[in-house]
Amino acid sequence: MRGGSIYIERTSGLHRLHPLTKVALTALCFASAAALPSLAWLLALFVGLLLPLAIWGRLTAAFLKSCLLVVGPFVISLTIIQGFFSGGETVLFRLGRFAFTQEGLLAGLTFAARLLVALGGTLLLMQSTPQAQLMQALTERGFPPRLAYVVLTAIQIFPSFQDRAQVIIDAQQARGLELQSGLLSRVRLLLPMVGPLILGSVMDVSERAMALEARAFSSPAPKTSLHSLADSPSQRILRWLLVLAAAALLAWRLWSALQ
Amino acid sequence: MIELKKFSYWYPGTEEPALQRISLDISEGEFVGIVGANGAGKSTLCYALSGFVPHFYNGESEGQLTFNGQDMAALDLGQLAGQVGLVFQNPFNQISGARFTVREEIAFGLENLGLPRSEMHARIDEALDLVNIQDLADRSPFSVSGGQQQRIAIASILAMQPRVLVLDEPTSQLDPDGTRDVFTALSKLVSTRKITVILAEHKLEWLATFCDRVIALGGGKLRAEGTPQEVLSSEQMLRLGIGRTQYSEAAARLLRTKKLPVTLEQAKKALK
Repeated sequence: MRGGSIYIERTSGLHRLHPLTKVALTALCFASAAALPSLAWLLALFVGLLLPLAIWGRLTAAFLKSCLLVVGPFVISLTIIQGFFSGGETVLFRLGRFAFTQEGLLAGLTFAARLLVALGGTLLLMQSTPQAQLMQALTERGFPPRLAYVVLTAIQIFPSFQDRAQVIIDAQQARGLELQSGLLSRVRLLLPMVGPLILGSVMDVSERAMALEARAFSSPAPKTSLHSLADSPSQRILRWLLVLAAAALLAWRLWSALQ
Repeated sequence: MIELKKFSYWYPGTEEPALQRISLDISEGEFVGIVGANGAGKSTLCYALSGFVPHFYNGESEGQLTFNGQDMAALDLGQLAGQVGLVFQNPFNQISGARFTVREEIAFGLENLGLPRSEMHARIDEALDLVNIQDLADRSPFSVSGGQQQRIAIASILAMQPRVLVLDEPTSQLDPDGTRDVFTALSKLVSTRKITVILAEHKLEWLATFCDRVIALGGGKLRAEGTPQEVLSSEQMLRLGIGRTQYSEAAARLLRTKKLPVTLEQAKKALK
């Protein structure tokens, strides 16, 4: 993992895929999450496609851990809410006057599985693609370079922001600020820490902007890239197939809803 | 190459000028040092010489500021970047934040200039060599020390091969070895490539050794200009709060001479 990105450096076929191929796969995952009708279909997609891709990308442990960390809390909260409040006839147990139903449980799990599929596709993209390459691929297809820069720096600068916050905390503690006390006093002491952090960052903006200009950021010349992104006719076909599949799924879902 | 005629500049919302009626003519291939106490106007002069004043700051200016005979205000900052490079004091703020390795970081400016890939690689290797950071090429620019970050910032500008390189206290966070590397690299650029180097710096001993000319500022005004020997050994340096080199100070105490040495070599000769 580098900077604030979740990219994991590996040598794998998944990593070598063109970023846009992985973007198309993510689009299919989102379409599937929205369109697939049942829990079984969603889990089959996860186990039959996303998990093998994670194994191919040598990301299995990190991929599963991230899925669990993000979707886990949703599984718990969604099954509780849906189980108790979405109705149904098959009561599994009662808590006071509230009934926990099998239909509600299934609805909660289905909702969580939809999140899992959408998240899984996104994770595969982000864990196997350096953000700079992703942005390069997008800017080569007309994505505004300035917007790409904002996205990339937001990812990269975050750990440095944390470092700066730690320096301020250390400095405040060195001056006798007590940070080990209770929650209320910690909240009260937030201001002397947040103030310098925000002000310092705002003051840096001017110099950062100048540094960017010194690096010809606003040069009218068409931008080039240090790295070339490997692509192939078969990947281009695959991308179209993935996008068509995503569109077909959404169209089918819409058609089913209208029936 | 860069000429200022009675140039004055006021930052937005201020009444006192940061630069007052400065007249200067800097030629191609010159190594010019700028000295001055804090608040003397060194950084503002650096910004003026690199086009950021008045382009970036919307202040008021008077007098003339030209680059190769063209009014600096009429030149576009994006185009100027390929010809005049600026290195700042704070290395962290110069890292683009959009690239993951030092090699990619150095490429950032070259990509913006639209250079072909093969030329980018050649320039990056050369810039890494010049500031002696070849071993950092594949590391993250955020995972190195402040001194190393400053060298990356310098390499990033050097790779753009500007005709003029302006540096605002670039060695303030470098150790003695790092400072020596930077000054040696700059001196090499001046002698081999005829690049004009303009350097604001507090480390007078280094300026005395490497610069062709030194400019002393005080209160936004040009107070002295001449060879390092002429400027840095003068009593005026003490009055301006700039101080003198350790060799001048030692000689002033040990010798009864009006022409104080400013470098180690000159001090050795004077003491003989």
